[in-house]
Parts: sequence; structure tokens; C-alpha cells
Amino acid sequence: MFPQKPQLNRFIQPLTHLTCFSCNTENSRPFKDGDYVFKEVEEKCPKCGSTKMLITGIYIEERQLKERER
Amino acid sequence: MVFDILQIGGQQDILSTLVSLIWLLLLLSFFLYPGFSQRIQLSYILRDLERKLNKLRIIDDDVKDRTLKAFQEHSEPNIDVKNELERLVDSFIISPESMDPYGIVYKLEHIVNTWEDRFEEDVARICSKADPVKVKTLTNLVEVSRGVHFIYRYVRHYYLLGKRTQNIYLVLQMQMLMPQIMEIAEAYRQASYAFAQAQPIGDGIGALVVAKLVHGLEKKTYEIAKDTIVHELELDGRKLLILRASGPGGTVGRPGEGIVKLIESEGDRVKLIITIDAGLKLEGEESGKVVEGVGVAIGGTGVDKFKIEEIAKAKRIPLYAIVIYESITEAITPMRESIVKAADKIIEKVKQLVNEKVEKGATIIIAGIGNSVGIGVT
Ligand SMILES: [Zn+2]
Repeated sequence: MFPQKPQLNRFIQPLTHLTCFSCNTENSRPFKDGDYVFKEVEEKCPKCGSTKMLITGIYIEERQLKERER
Repeated sequence: MVFDILQIGGQQDILSTLVSLIWLLLLLSFFLYPGFSQRIQLSYILRDLERKLNKLRIIDDDVKDRTLKAFQEHSEPNIDVKNELERLVDSFIISPESMDPYGIVYKLEHIVNTWEDRFEEDVARICSKADPVKVKTLTNLVEVSRGVHFIYRYVRHYYLLGKRTQNIYLVLQMQMLMPQIMEIAEAYRQASYAFAQAQPIGDGIGALVVAKLVHGLEKKTYEIAKDTIVHELELDGRKLLILRASGPGGTVGRPGEGIVKLIESEGDRVKLIITIDAGLKLEGEESGKVVEGVGVAIGGTGVDKFKIEEIAKAKRIPLYAIVIYESITEAITPMRESIVKAADKIIEKVKQLVNEKVEKGATIIIAGIGNSVGIGVT
């Protein structure tokens, strides 16, 4: 009788929310190493194409939590 | 009665006679050996504890591995990271003697500060390639690793002690605590991911609120105590001194020392102190709920709380507190949407308090308490 290996919960990666400096559009993507809230990053805005964005939030969305429960 | 049972057995085949006999013996053993049922229960509880202890060991190893990997990424190849890390995880802190409690807060402060400084120096030495911000977060990661390892050692101690002494009351108490212990261990495991990647955690909501409050406003920023910064700005004719731990490295700073220094330099102009912190919610309460009260909202060793209360009393400054409800798991794992959403509500509340409670020209200290991991300075 071998002890069965216990299952550990999966870790949910938070999403990084970015706001464009020129058009204020908000979008999100998976967290990347080096991200922190209020960091200015050189990423392309999906709406206006400007390359300066500000990280305005890093958090786990409600729907991510619900997805795990399922 | 016994004859009855045997008679029934006799009327049927040999197999059912045997079964009846086994039943009879089992029944007799309960009568002749009063501790028998307890024995069975003990072995059942021990097996249950063993299973959970096994899971704790896996969690402990998992967190240790993650810490080791994070350390190895930032250290020179000639350093024996594994050995050094083990030394840090096994290190201890002795709280001061309380037989004569006079001045104990300052003794505790001295010991805790020494501990923090030494820990950070050691991490910086092992991870010589890491910048100061990363060193702070890695120091937090070792603390998480230490916490999990302690839980594992603690449970193992009571499991082995109970098994050796066959003490059912000891293992029973342990079994009752296990659900909460397992939840905390799992929370620590999730926290190790957050710190290894420097992601904001639920406890950081206080720091996040004040960062959002001052974002985009004209201000003067300076360091007031170790890892503690102040933003000085004007709002609606009042002077705001906004204090928080300096991010984006993982640190809680020294808000007690910071507030004392601010009041000493501002004199009697300070008319209100507002502390904003995450607080433990009760089961069934909603996460991210914002509640108001009076006093100093701050956790930790109690040193900061004591210092702020002491100076506030001496100068007769009212203490207001705003608390954001979270569970223990939410406090040490990556921030959740429900908690982040509280930030805007709190900012409105703070502005309202400032306008209602303090006259123009006065100074207000607002302290955003909590770990600043992943929250940059604006
Ligand atoms: Zn844009």
C-alpha cells in the first residue's frame, strides 16, 4: 500500500493591466517577470499604436477564480 | 445468548459458523479490553495525521525548491546556495524577557531590527547579482520558506510524540487543528509563487491605496526611515504627509518610526492620523469590504502600533483607521480583483475625512500600511 501523492492546488497567475499614455485605453495580459504597479513599459497600445504604457494594476480577476473552481 | 448464536451457526454451513465466531470474539474483545475502541480510533487518527503530514512535507519541499531556484538565479556559481539557505531557514529569534515589562517594546524593536538587517545582509551576500529591490523580495521569500518549514516541524513533532506515547488526546487536538493548518500551509505555498515573481499581495492594499492617491499629483518625496518613504503634498488647502513602505521591493518599512519623526518635525500642526491596512475578515464576510474605525490599523510585532499610539496620545492627535477585509490566504497571495476595487472607495473616504475633520492649513498624516511588493513609487 503506497501513500498516494496528494494533489496541490494550481497557482493562478495574475493579469497585468496596462493603460495607454496617449489614449487612456486599458488592456490586460498575463503577468511578466519584472512587472510592477506604476511601472512605465514600452509596449504597443492595441488601439492607437503608441508605445508607452503604464501598469495600473496586477491582480487575479474574479473570472480566473471561477474558472479554477470549475 | 452465546448458545443462541452458536445454535444458529450450527444450523447453517461451516462458513457462517466461522463468521459468527469472529463476530463473537470481536464483541468479547470490546468487553474484556476496554481500551480497544480507543486503540482503533488512535490508529485511525494517526493514519489521518500521517497523510496530512506527508502533504505538508511535499508543500515544504515545493516552497524550498522555489526559494532555492530564485536564489540560484541571482547568485554566483561558487556559492553553496543550498547550505546557506538551510542556515537562514533554521535561524531563530528570541523574544525579550517580559518578567519586567518596562521598556520591552524598545527591546523588541531592537531585536527585530537586528534580525531584519542581518537577514537582508545575508540574502544580499548570497544573491550578489540581485539589485536592492530584488534582495528585499528574496528576503520575504525566505521568510515564507521559514514559515512553512516551521509548520511542518510543528505538526511532525506532535504526530511523532502522540505516536510514541500513544496519547490519543494529544493527536486528537492536532487532528482538530489540521484543517486550518493545512489551509495556512497552502496559502504560504501560493505566497512563495507571488514573492518569487515579485507580484503584489493582498496585504499590500494599504500601500496601493496611497500610491493611487498621490499618483499624478505634484509632490515632494523623501525617505523618512529605513524602507519608508513620505510624499508631501497639498490637497484642498491642507498639507498631507503620506507615508508608505518603499516599493516595488517586498518590505513593510518602519511606519512607527516614520510617523514619530514626522510629528516631531511638524510639531502641533498635525491634526489627524489615518492608517489604512488590510484586516482579517471573519468567515462569511465579503472580501474587499471597507470598514472604518478608530485606533491604529497595523499588524506585525506591535512596535509600530505602540509608537504611534504613544506619540498620538502625548500630542492629542485623533487616530482614524480604515480597514479592508481579507482572509489570511488573500492577504499573502496575489491581490484579487475584489480587494483592488476597494482602493477607489478608500481614496474617496480619505478625501472626505480630510475635508470634514480637519481645518484648512492643518497637517494630516496618512499611512498606507502593508507589504509593498510589486507596488512601485509614483
Ligand atoms: Zn493608446
